[in-house]
Amino acid sequence: MTAGKVSQVIGSTFDARFPEEHLPDIYNAVLIEADVKGNKVKVTGEVQQHLGGGRVRCVALGNTDGMRRGMDVIDTGKPLSVPVGKATLGRVFNVLGEVIDGRGPVAYDERWPIHRRPPLMEDLSPKAEVFETGIKVIDLLTPFVRGGKAGLFGGAGLGKTVILTELIARIASAHGGYSVFAGVGERTREGNDLWLEMQETKIGTTDRSVIEQTCMVFGQMNEPPGARLRVALSALTMAEWFRDATGADTLLFVDNIFRFSQAGSETSALLGRMPSAVGYQPTLGTELGELQERITSTKNGAITSVQAVYVPADDATDPAPATAFAHLDAFIYLERRISEKGIYPAIDPLASSSRLLDPQYVGQRHYNAARRVQQTLQRYRELQDIIAILGVDELSEDDKMVVHRARRIERFLSQPFLVAEVFTGKAGKITPLADTIRSFEEICDGKWDHLPESAFMYVGAIEEAEEQYKKMQAGA
Amino acid sequence: MANRRLLVKRLKAVRNIRKITRTMELIATSLFKKAMDRATEAAEYTRKISEIVGDLGRANLKFSHPLLERRAEEKRSILLVLTANRGLCGGYNASVLRQSLIHIRSLKEKAIEFQLEVSGKRGIKFLNYQKVPIHTQYTTFEDQPSFAAVETLANRFVDDFIAGRIDRLDVAYTRFVTSSKQFAVVETLLPIGSLEGGIETKSEAGIDYEFLPSAQEILTEIVPAAFRAKLFKCFLDAAVSEQIARMVAMKGATENADEMAGSLKQQYNRARQAGITSELAEIIGGAAALG
Repeated sequence: MTAGKVSQVIGSTFDARFPEEHLPDIYNAVLIEADVKGNKVKVTGEVQQHLGGGRVRCVALGNTDGMRRGMDVIDTGKPLSVPVGKATLGRVFNVLGEVIDGRGPVAYDERWPIHRRPPLMEDLSPKAEVFETGIKVIDLLTPFVRGGKAGLFGGAGLGKTVILTELIARIASAHGGYSVFAGVGERTREGNDLWLEMQETKIGTTDRSVIEQTCMVFGQMNEPPGARLRVALSALTMAEWFRDATGADTLLFVDNIFRFSQAGSETSALLGRMPSAVGYQPTLGTELGELQERITSTKNGAITSVQAVYVPADDATDPAPATAFAHLDAFIYLERRISEKGIYPAIDPLASSSRLLDPQYVGQRHYNAARRVQQTLQRYRELQDIIAILGVDELSEDDKMVVHRARRIERFLSQPFLVAEVFTGKAGKITPLADTIRSFEEICDGKWDHLPESAFMYVGAIEEAEEQYKKMQAGA
Repeated sequence: MANRRLLVKRLKAVRNIRKITRTMELIATSLFKKAMDRATEAAEYTRKISEIVGDLGRANLKFSHPLLERRAEEKRSILLVLTANRGLCGGYNASVLRQSLIHIRSLKEKAIEFQLEVSGKRGIKFLNYQKVPIHTQYTTFEDQPSFAAVETLANRFVDDFIAGRIDRLDVAYTRFVTSSKQFAVVETLLPIGSLEGGIETKSEAGIDYEFLPSAQEILTEIVPAAFRAKLFKCFLDAAVSEQIARMVAMKGATENADEMAGSLKQQYNRARQAGITSELAEIIGGAAALG
């Protein structure tokens, strides 16, 4: 434990001077504790750069308000660590591993540093198994991988967080293992809502609430960039303990991975790096790679992760979402045009994809059904310009049929959500994969051409569309 | 940003389509004028002649003509469907075909045998797709159907009717009322007595005709002539309506294309500007960081 002095404070980064022979290592946590006119200042920082001349540059993981030059900086001699183990279940932490739910201290046995190596290549698990969610569009077109990573891409207000919460409600409540939720730079209110909801939701038929199997880590919008930059690692470290120590299937939810990149870009310039494309940090790929490579399943245990990725200005070519894209097994893209039609989840069936949508994993029947749906929708999209100019009447009879079915498929891809029950007044629907495949096959075969388009909105299996139609007729 | 090239491509496509639709609109306008003149010329003649025939059919009970007789039992019929050879005319073909299908269904319900005769490639394609067997198809009636061609057709129908091979002839076509009002109808042309409801009320009082040389002779001449005129009128009406429908459809299409080209151009400009702005920002940011 060596002590140094603060020599410069720039926004959320600061420099400290240490004796040349006792420089803190990169990624070591340094601590500043002082009293400024009766106000306590307590900031943890992380060493990022050695500047020469005994100076190190650090990112503050807390607020730098009240910091001044000359304050004492203590090198803790090791990286930041967070408590791990079963004691963390049911609790809410911040980036430093401190509990923030006001329920007393955590009786942990172990702390793990948040910077760790990704699992070795030889330890990786090669399994590829479908993870059923009961959401038609996801199961059919972008099947999730058990022990894999799924990304929810979408611009502002398209329902990324809603889908993520829905997945938590569906998966976590049916899932026996542990879950870890990382709130990265999103609304604090949403975090609170989720926490309360998890206390109410029960696991399967048992009497225990989901929160008892979950630990949550938050570094939300109000926190400085340093906290948002590291909170994902803190949560991941806790998830890694569950994977490595218990071997259980672990779920990791991250909302929102883009904020991680954003926090990196906020600190990058302050650390003196030259901005790269669109003003992002030049180390964007490295930073994200270090995080994503750790979210993997090993032979010992699996981490299945679902990550929301904000797409700035609906531009999927933006470097941050584009970089995240490469790391994922299942890729779900939310599209504004679809949400404008009032179809939720607003998943774009053509832009979304999954590594698993291949006959050798999902079977020939599922694959064919998915491809037929995509072909129909693709053709419809191609025809849309013609329809906009000349009208539907000018299409050939075959194309008219394609449009007819595509419009029904489009609507049938909507589904009532469990978590949206309060808003839509419709009970959430869990549709088994077999029903989903059969329903879409039948629509493509033209068995349900006689139903009006509105009958396909917000139903589960196809039989419910028929029911809805009968109800509509009875009401009219 | 990366879809800028795509936007340019789409913009070009939309502009090309616009050129076509605009040209077709202009062509349709000039064809419409010609067809319109022919139709109005024929209309007066047809109206008068069917009026006379209608009156004769009712007024003179002593004489009759086979074309005026309604058969007690209708067993066989012909349905003649008049559609266009070309598309790009909005709902013109679709509404005639819709009426035809409804008529076919009702014929089937009444168990009346029917023979389908279709004019126009669009109708032929559609009915083939619907798997309705077509007996005869014509693709020779263009924008200006000639009286000679229609006459041969009419004579055949008359022969068939008189010989008892058919009991009824229906024509599905678009009736032209005014240049802003046309609608698809199925009309029964044979027997002739079963039409012109409007004139019936007018001649309720019963106009007394004097016949010279004799009513029977006049009837044998005038009835088939009336039928031919009526059938020809159907063709003319269909031709005018087609041009009007095309004119309206193409006008709408041109407007839509204009609108679309405008919004694409706007999107493209925005994307271009955004690209420039971000490149500038990067250069300035980079220079500032280096400086």
